[in-house]
Amino acid sequence: MKKRMRVLASVFALSMALTTLSACGSGSKDAETKNADDPNAKDTITALLPPVSANFQSNFDQMAKEFNEKYPNLTLKIEPASWEDMTQKLDTQVNAGSPPDIAFIPSDGIPKYVDSGLLMDISDTATDDMIKDYDPAPLEYMKNGKGLYGFPAYMEAHAIGGNKEYLEKAGIDYKKVQKEGWTFDEFREAIKKGVVTENGKTSRYGFVFATAGVTSKDYLDILVKSAGMPSAFNQDLKYTYTSKNFLEVLKDIRVMIDDGSMPKELSSIDAGKRWNMFLTGQTMITGKGLAGFERNAKENNEKLKNKDASAVKGSIPVEYIVLPVPSFAGAKAQTRVAVDGYVTFRGTKEPTAAHKANVVKAANFLSSGKVAATTNNELYVAQITESSRKAAESMPVDRDPDNKAAIESMLTHAVPARPDIPTDLGAKALKLEDEVIVPKLQALIAGEITPEAMYDAVKSAAVQAFGDDGVVKD
Amino acid sequence: MTEYAKPIKRRKINSDAIWGYAFIAAALLIFLMFTAYPVVSALIISFQEYKPVGSTFIGFDNYTETFKDSLFWKAIVNTIVYTLLTVPVSLFLSFAVSILILPFKKRMQTAFKAVYYLPAVASGVALSVVWLWIYDPMPEGIFNKLTSFFGLGTHNWLGSSAYAMFSLVLMAWLSSHGTSIIIYLAALLGIDGSYYEAAELDGANFFQKLRYIVVPCLKPTTLFLLVTGVIGSFQVFQNAYLMTGGGPDNATTMVGLLIFNNAFKYFEFGKAAAQSLILAAIIAGISVIQFKFLGKDVEY
Repeated sequence: MKKRMRVLASVFALSMALTTLSACGSGSKDAETKNADDPNAKDTITALLPPVSANFQSNFDQMAKEFNEKYPNLTLKIEPASWEDMTQKLDTQVNAGSPPDIAFIPSDGIPKYVDSGLLMDISDTATDDMIKDYDPAPLEYMKNGKGLYGFPAYMEAHAIGGNKEYLEKAGIDYKKVQKEGWTFDEFREAIKKGVVTENGKTSRYGFVFATAGVTSKDYLDILVKSAGMPSAFNQDLKYTYTSKNFLEVLKDIRVMIDDGSMPKELSSIDAGKRWNMFLTGQTMITGKGLAGFERNAKENNEKLKNKDASAVKGSIPVEYIVLPVPSFAGAKAQTRVAVDGYVTFRGTKEPTAAHKANVVKAANFLSSGKVAATTNNELYVAQITESSRKAAESMPVDRDPDNKAAIESMLTHAVPARPDIPTDLGAKALKLEDEVIVPKLQALIAGEITPEAMYDAVKSAAVQAFGDDGVVKD
Repeated sequence: MTEYAKPIKRRKINSDAIWGYAFIAAALLIFLMFTAYPVVSALIISFQEYKPVGSTFIGFDNYTETFKDSLFWKAIVNTIVYTLLTVPVSLFLSFAVSILILPFKKRMQTAFKAVYYLPAVASGVALSVVWLWIYDPMPEGIFNKLTSFFGLGTHNWLGSSAYAMFSLVLMAWLSSHGTSIIIYLAALLGIDGSYYEAAELDGANFFQKLRYIVVPCLKPTTLFLLVTGVIGSFQVFQNAYLMTGGGPDNATTMVGLLIFNNAFKYFEFGKAAAQSLILAAIIAGISVIQFKFLGKDVEY
């Protein structure tokens, strides 16, 4: 008995040690596969994908099957990830030197991964037919320097969204705004009219934007685009947030809270809460507005109609109206866009030409044709490839035509991509944004510092980071 | 050979010893891989500009940059403030609760221990979500309703730099003390009953017994909880990350969060490793000071 126990215990101890060691040895199979240089050799392409649309992840088996039918020697192995842990999972894999072949990320993450040395430039591998399929504007977002690092899935406008009934009650000609846009002064007057006060308490605000924590970055970033600062750097690569227009935007941000159009607790309102406020009638306009919100509002309306208990508690039927972001300081309105896509990674060893070509085929398969058409249709976003537009022709579209037209109009003045910004400058700007701009903006929204104090802090940090000659002076 | 020199005897290694070494080797291997290796790697990385492909040696640059970084010092101050406000209060609350539980019968004690330990079992993320709900800044938020009831008005608990740190501290005060309570209770039950009997014969009241018997007898336990509490508090990350993200205006940026941001947000692993080692040195220094000044008359 004693002997048997010893043997069992030693087997256990040995298995623990072997498990530990085996963790360090994984990936050898992939390496072997990737070493094959025959274009017709069997190969496996791995992809780390979040739930891009509601049914996206449930279609993975079908997508893998269709890919294999199209390319019989290739296997598409998809690993699902939630939005919450997508970046962390990817970052861990990248830093371990073993990223997936393809990952779905926002295009603004490209410089970070280029800097890691593990993003794969596919400009020499993507065929002309593939490239021609994509609209040029979103494709530019997948570039950095001269390299192309993947294919875009969609280009979505960051708008704001209004409650049709309340907009009409406030006498706002929203159809005109959808077509012609509005200045900050016009917008401010409109949101003031949307405020409803009962017994000295505000029961409805004119405008609520999610600004809790890092979402404050979204708020500022969306607004400054329409203040003559489409990018953190101008064409001469000078940092733009030192412009006087930036100060004007900061003043306007504060004034909307001070005049009661936005809640004084704005700094703690996150994305979920402000959407809840919109559906429960506590605000006339919400931001940021994404295309899918129209569908979410419709779904909630349907639930209310059917007395479905899963409808948002306390919600009311809402007709969602897409509205453009106002322009500031006399500048031209420009639409901030989200271009997300399938970026391509390499391992620490140089990939073979055959594997690289296979990865490109898989990224192209996911971002065009039927797969992209289905996903984008579900998201209410525009198709950005000829092949997906063709595939979507037979798919029903349940969008409000005015909303659709408004988005199309906004996309005509979408902020262009800036692949010319060097990664070191981009990294400095990102750090300045995280360590100075966002914290100071949080303080500004909470009413703890003045717009001038924030402007001075940003200016001083920018001069320190980019030098006196590296910033815009106007 | 002198008369004192003894011939070297070969120790006979029997099968028991072989088995013993085999088990130690398995544990040692795991320790080396998951504890020693990461620490040594962190030390090496701290002298590099780390990249998955081709890191470069940059000497002490990560350290000098860290020492020049005002945000690092702000994070250190925030962490010290958080530690000073949470650890002593947390110790006092654990001690007080343990004293209150002690007179109960064993079954009731167990029930109390289970109740107090429950938050330690629950996910920290889930607890943070509940606290976010409690700190809802709108007038209908639970905490705001409470403060309004007492005429203190509503506040932006996590969004204002005047309240954000206090909100995290309050959360720490009212959250899990389960582990400390269990340790204190075990120590309290270990005090010999004859001390209390002797004190009672001398006419000592409750507070005198507390002052002259309980507190001195619990000193080793208190020192242990203080040292581990300070270490844990200096490494605090989750609350700031989930509740405030370090804001507003970096009022709640702790060192742990700063290290995380440098590593996973900016991919500056070298700098993050350097800051981790500086933090380890600070914690070690504080622990030595605690042992030196508080551990003099502690008997183990």
